[in-house]
Amino acid sequence: MNYTILDSPDFALLQVVLDTSETFVAESGAMVAKDVGIDITTSLRGGLLGAAKRKFLGGESLFQNTFTARTSGQRLFLAAKAEGDLRARKLGVGESFFLQSGAYVGHSGSDLKIDTKFGGVRGFFSGVGLFILRIEGPGTVFYGSYGAIHEVELHGENYTVDTGHIVAFTQTLDYRVRAFGGFKGLFLSGEGLVADFHGTGTVYVQTRNAAGLAAFLHPFRRIKAKAGN
Amino acid sequence: MHIEIQYNPAHSLATVHLAPHESIRAEAGSMVSMTDNISVTTTAGHRSGGGFFGGLKRAALGGESFFQNLFSAGAMGGKVSLAPSLAGSMVVHELRLGEELFIQGSSYVAAPESVTLDTQFQGMKGFLSGESLFFLKATGQGPVLLNAFGAIEKRELNGELIVDTGHLVAFTSGIEYSLSKAAKGWIQSFLSGEGFVLKVRGRGTLWLQSRNPSEFGGTVGRMLPAREG
Repeated sequence: MNYTILDSPDFALLQVVLDTSETFVAESGAMVAKDVGIDITTSLRGGLLGAAKRKFLGGESLFQNTFTARTSGQRLFLAAKAEGDLRARKLGVGESFFLQSGAYVGHSGSDLKIDTKFGGVRGFFSGVGLFILRIEGPGTVFYGSYGAIHEVELHGENYTVDTGHIVAFTQTLDYRVRAFGGFKGLFLSGEGLVADFHGTGTVYVQTRNAAGLAAFLHPFRRIKAKAGN
Repeated sequence: MHIEIQYNPAHSLATVHLAPHESIRAEAGSMVSMTDNISVTTTAGHRSGGGFFGGLKRAALGGESFFQNLFSAGAMGGKVSLAPSLAGSMVVHELRLGEELFIQGSSYVAAPESVTLDTQFQGMKGFLSGESLFFLKATGQGPVLLNAFGAIEKRELNGELIVDTGHLVAFTSGIEYSLSKAAKGWIQSFLSGEGFVLKVRGRGTLWLQSRNPSEFGGTVGRMLPAREG
């Protein structure tokens, strides 16, 4: 498999080139286009329970598509949900990488594992519908951001990130989620939870936040007519 | 204090580099991430801006978040990253003593405490237009961080210009404004879709944004399910 990330950083598009019998797995809805020599099979990856767990805890879709090339040099184009950038992360055997649930686009490597990291409150970004997926190698995972991807390298210090701006982080980092600002009302105005990262590694931060866009659009919604009127 | 802007034009991120014991006020919800050793206080107003009622006045008239967060660096200094909700650029204007900067409510992001914010609404009180015509007046000294929806166009004005209210980001003192109509008659103005426009005249600097938040909100908001009143 070869890949190229086109149109980075604002509207990134992933081009994957597959050889005969090579496969690529992608989030349902991520496909933009493909050559005719690629077959698609839709499955509940990880079995029914695994898929349900990912759907309800991880926020990704229940179904995933597996693309298999019949001949060599077949192209597949994929995109993330929001406008923004795309990145690839190659993982060795047993190496882990943490992704915000909505950032996952696809992966190569049939032995790559995707699991919802559900360590109670610690892994649970309540309120904003964000969860953390643990991706374990071997394989390459592709992920997308809303806005640009800003990399922050940590060397043992603490670093705080709004949970809505987290894209990914390396396995070497530890984190703790807490309320930010101290005002309960701020949960409604878009600023709510932050994660304090600690350790040596990299945090990938996205420069836009889907909850912020939703908060902007909310006042523009029509107002429901009251029952009885 | 130094404000660094990256990822312009589409998905800008502003990083405020704070020297030891420096602080910056930012619109609630704009914080993306920050280093350790920064304390955060949420305020409804700010020391130089009329306390609680100043905050209320700004929120009600200025279209700006009710709350602002004050980020204060400790003895080691620190960094705070800020971003707006919508796609677009950010720009810093270094406000000089004696100068006034008029900022469209939703275009304000952050400023240090050496800058005072107040609402300014000369001669148009009570005018219903559906588009916000409210400005914050910034005085004092220091960097003022502004955001645009879309690209930002800086124009040196010496004369007159007609500007759509939804596309105006900010302008400096030396420029006067008055409400005007886009076409010759009021009915034609209404039908033109341009609604009310501002006639700005004088000599100073003016910033325009290439997209209009109200137009975008109106277009997308109508497609969303109705909300409870």
